[in-house]
Amino acid sequence: MFSLLDAHKRFGPIEALAGCSMEIERGHVLGFLGPNGAGKTTAMRAIFGLVELDTGEVLWDGHRVGPDERLRFGYMPEERGLYPRMRIGEQLEYFGRLHGLEAGAAQSAASVWLERLGLADRAEAKVEELSHGNQQRVQLAAALVHEPELLVLDEPFAGLDPVAVQTLADVLRAEAARGAAVLFSSHQLELVEDVCEDVAIIDRGRIVAAGDLDALRRSSQRRRIAVRLEGAPHDWLPVVDGVELVERSNGDLRLLARQDVDPELVLEAAERSARVVEFSYGPPSLSELFLELVER
Amino acid sequence: MTGARAVRLVAEREIRERLRSKVFLASTIVLLALVGGSVALQGALSKQETYRVAVVVPAPHGLAAALQRGAEPFDDAKVELRVVASPAAGRQALDADEVDALLLLGADRLVFRSSVDAKAAAVAETAVRELRHRLPPEPELQAATLEPADDETTDAEVLVAYAGSILLLMSLAVYGQWVVTGVVEERSNRVVELVLSAVHPRHLLAGKVLGIGLLGLTQLALVAGLAAALLVSGAFDAPRSLGGDVALVIPWFALGFALYSVAYAAAGALASRQQNADTAGQPVTYALLAVYFGGYVALSSDPSGPLATLLTVFPVSAPLVLPARSALVGVPLWEHALALVLVLGSVYALVRFAGRVYAHGLLRGGPGLGLRAAWRLAREP
Repeated sequence: MFSLLDAHKRFGPIEALAGCSMEIERGHVLGFLGPNGAGKTTAMRAIFGLVELDTGEVLWDGHRVGPDERLRFGYMPEERGLYPRMRIGEQLEYFGRLHGLEAGAAQSAASVWLERLGLADRAEAKVEELSHGNQQRVQLAAALVHEPELLVLDEPFAGLDPVAVQTLADVLRAEAARGAAVLFSSHQLELVEDVCEDVAIIDRGRIVAAGDLDALRRSSQRRRIAVRLEGAPHDWLPVVDGVELVERSNGDLRLLARQDVDPELVLEAAERSARVVEFSYGPPSLSELFLELVER
Repeated sequence: MTGARAVRLVAEREIRERLRSKVFLASTIVLLALVGGSVALQGALSKQETYRVAVVVPAPHGLAAALQRGAEPFDDAKVELRVVASPAAGRQALDADEVDALLLLGADRLVFRSSVDAKAAAVAETAVRELRHRLPPEPELQAATLEPADDETTDAEVLVAYAGSILLLMSLAVYGQWVVTGVVEERSNRVVELVLSAVHPRHLLAGKVLGIGLLGLTQLALVAGLAAALLVSGAFDAPRSLGGDVALVIPWFALGFALYSVAYAAAGALASRQQNADTAGQPVTYALLAVYFGGYVALSSDPSGPLATLLTVFPVSAPLVLPARSALVGVPLWEHALALVLVLGSVYALVRFAGRVYAHGLLRGGPGLGLRAAWRLAREP
């Protein structure tokens, strides 16, 4: 199990991490969310010693993480980078060996990953000769080639087309199924809902919510209500205490209600003014939860 | 993974990727061709020479003819034999530049004015041996000089000294620049973040310097080794002992590279991401050039003077100045030892300083850092 305990890091006047803690179990995928500048990248770089924490600890199975443990971790940095003039097969082999694989094992692992990502016939190509999408695949393979026990990916879905998104989501789930602990950061919240059960939301250097995604949504103090009306006045609003409007377009309304508000009251109010075509009630979506938690 | 393994892997990658680029191979071939070509060039340029040899009466019968036969292998050089009344008269003639060498058959000595001419010595030796084949056998001639040999340096020594130090300067600058380029590229294409997630910056630095240094050393060893071998075999019109001075360039490249490449790497790590490798390495290249010209001035004004001696042992200049001075006037053993100790000590100190600068510089985005900021970084706990 991976744990980050009470991490603090200050860059001059900016407090990047202010007591950030999180845990990931083997076999789990954790989506790491937070607004820009919340401290996601700093926390991820700290796992690899690329940022030296002022205080706090990085632990793997309860032991402090040092250079030897890091060799069993895989990393995809936010700023992608590979050796542009190095052949991709040799490049993957090199990163495998840097992570402790012997020459033969590194070579076969490199071919396995090239095969799996559809680049088997390009093993001799240099990185700079590949398309942007294929470079991203090699970057992913470089993080995975040594079968890491902890996989850390900083914005891995950024800039991917829908097919590549699907491939990457499958790979992450497969890595977790293999037994790896997977941590990835993302801005694409719908995607996070698809890929993982666990999330951690960071804001101003602190984790503001963490755990099972469904449980988090249910534990929210608010509920989402969606109503579709026909024939209602364009400025219609339910006059119910504790309900506020989030968004309105034509007859579609998205509302947020306090958890203790009875949805029946909203439905009755709607039925008094117009014909209700659709009505739904439930815990907030991840995006709504996110906005609720990081509200400025 | 142990540090040694990481260092080896990084060094291997540097060597493999750079050998693939063909630049190394091509430049090695060009340099070897230059050394080999200079032998041929010297042969083509050497004019027919006349050796003026004095011998004390009575000159053995057939000496003149034997000398002429001995000179035949040297592009049919001419030998003028002059008979003098006494060794003292011979020395006078030698001193007055009326003859090039004085043959003292009784003492088995061949005396030159200030420096031994290898060809003339060979001619006389062949002739005497031929004559003595009929007379009592054996002994060969001892070459000697009228004045202490150190007083004046020969053209060959000057050539070896300056060609050697230019070769050193160029090798240090070229391979040092390779280090800067490697460091700057790793930062600008951002692969360094991935590498450093598995490798300690110190090991990345060491592997890079070691890999590129080994390539440089191989090239220099081939080139200087060929030149030294040619000198020792007598292919050049130069004292064979100069071969040793040329060979001295090889270990001093290793020492100089250890010193300068680490400085180059730190300069590369401190540069901003937008800065290109050429400008990033400039401060170190300027330091190298300053040392080279300082050494040149000191050695050409007085190679035995205090400034030349100081530059021989001063760690920053020793790698360039010591081999050159050794060829010119010789360097006493204690200066060799002192220079070695000081350079090794400086390498150790610089690796510690530059290692921290390198680590901090690599992981920092954004603009370049000045020296003061670098110093502060390196002193941080």
